[in-house]
Amino acid sequence: MAGRALGLTAAAERPRWWWWALVAAATAGLLILPSYLDLAQQFDTSVLFVLAILALSMGFLWGFVGILSLGQTAFFGLGGYTYAVLALNTGETTSAFLLAIVLPAVFAAIIGYFMIYGRISDIFLSVITLVVTLILEKGIRATSGDQFVIGTVRLNGQNGIPGVPALQVPWDPQTTLFIDGVFYLSVVLLVLVYVGLRLLLATPFGRVLVGIRENERRIELLGYDARKYKLAAFTLCGAIAGLAGGLYAVWGNFIAPEAMNLNQAAQLIIWVIVGGRTTLIGPILGTAGVQSLMAWLGTQGVGQVTLVLGAVLIVFVLIFKEGLVPTVLTALGSVRDRLFGGRNEERRA
Amino acid sequence: MNDAILETQGLRKSFGGVNAIDGVDFRLAPGELRCLIGPNGAGKSTFFKMLTGQHAPSAGRILFKGQDITGRMAHEIGRLGIGIKNQVPDVFDGLSARENLWLAARFAHGTAQARRMVEEVIERLAIGGFIDRPVGELAHGQRQWVEIGMVVAREPTLVLLDEPSAGMSVEETARTADLIKEINRSATIIVVEHDMQFIRQIAQIVTVFHRGRILVEEPVEQALTNPRVRDVYLGREAA
Repeated sequence: MAGRALGLTAAAERPRWWWWALVAAATAGLLILPSYLDLAQQFDTSVLFVLAILALSMGFLWGFVGILSLGQTAFFGLGGYTYAVLALNTGETTSAFLLAIVLPAVFAAIIGYFMIYGRISDIFLSVITLVVTLILEKGIRATSGDQFVIGTVRLNGQNGIPGVPALQVPWDPQTTLFIDGVFYLSVVLLVLVYVGLRLLLATPFGRVLVGIRENERRIELLGYDARKYKLAAFTLCGAIAGLAGGLYAVWGNFIAPEAMNLNQAAQLIIWVIVGGRTTLIGPILGTAGVQSLMAWLGTQGVGQVTLVLGAVLIVFVLIFKEGLVPTVLTALGSVRDRLFGGRNEERRA
Repeated sequence: MNDAILETQGLRKSFGGVNAIDGVDFRLAPGELRCLIGPNGAGKSTFFKMLTGQHAPSAGRILFKGQDITGRMAHEIGRLGIGIKNQVPDVFDGLSARENLWLAARFAHGTAQARRMVEEVIERLAIGGFIDRPVGELAHGQRQWVEIGMVVAREPTLVLLDEPSAGMSVEETARTADLIKEINRSATIIVVEHDMQFIRQIAQIVTVFHRGRILVEEPVEQALTNPRVRDVYLGREAA
């Protein structure tokens, strides 16, 4: 709706030239950022991109397919642990990183199959995904003993796995990515995921997904097998969350059960709500905005950072229901209408 | 065996011992535009729901082009080239009318042809004026036309419409009648309706239902002057 108010291209259509120009400009801007940031700032900023990928995996499912998965952190954590365990065992990181995408995707496909083909209702799907991430978290927490070993790597329970190897350049394994390298990689992967999802929405597959969000029963009456589409989307978003998790382990050289706990799952929801789930840029900006705010509050000695986060959430749920990006777009659209009259009418929405 | 596009044999539907449809033998020739009428409770809606797979018959058979489709699900019937439109608009409210048509056309035709099909339907039904607006923002009549367009976009050979003019203004009703006549050029149509004005505008032969059975089946002008039909509408006992 908001997109139409601004005359933005509807998701069903291929992006216009100015969209590509904006994406290219933003990417270029992010890629030259490290020249102006010291290493600590680069380190702090790159995690925003990593978490934004995770937020996209949830925002896409929720905003465009109508699946509210509260447990994308399960695939995120699984991706992180997959990378950590494999990279430490083999000393080789390329395949570990790829498996950090594949394994969560397979896991998402399995639990997705039972939930979606079992035709449980939407609310139960949300509950089950949340429970899955909490079970994984508790399960990993319980692996403190030295009998919990995969290959040569101890899982370490709640202490997490430290010393996760840095990512090697695939064609030159002697070179590993340092802080700036991880920054560039995170930017590139975030842009790829964003552009990929945007283009997906313009394909017949993506358009049917949006149809499912609008009216699933009607889609089925038209002859589509909605379950197949939903499972594919759920699996894809599991893979994206896994990618974010693998990248997260690379970023911090560390992975711990906290990546999958209730706190993390709840924060993810807040990022997506604040940014606005009905756009793809919303979850990205929501993640960056909320995380930056939290970090800033942390340095201001406010103390009750979570309390402030709660207030932010309440404000958005009650006042800016659509989230930041759609609200701003709608406002801009009505300003433009006042300035230029009813130009919207002629435009293809 | 015969040239009927749709046929029912001894169709029966009972709800807790009451026969809502009580042994209906119905035949429809290709190219017809048939109206099903009758007072409330006559069974025409139940009959429609059995034809469209929304109710399973208690007994009897439904044949489409000689093929037994009794008890098939609604979406299976949709795939056979039977277009179904229920009374309440069932559309994708958040999407543009064009996207609604595309989703309907895509499954029937594949990607390449769907786009062309959408343009053809827009032209044929003359609904270009609001085609890029979200269906949720359209007037009731426009929403109904979009859904009729969704049916047409699948190029059905048989179209089943349940009270397509319900809730419409006089102008909208007239436009809907024109739409249905246009669709009839390429498809056989059954319309369930109780608006007599509307039926006069479109009908050729009407089938009058009464108490779960077919009372008469004759050209519309005859039926509307038939004393037996008038009696059942006025609630008198028919002979």
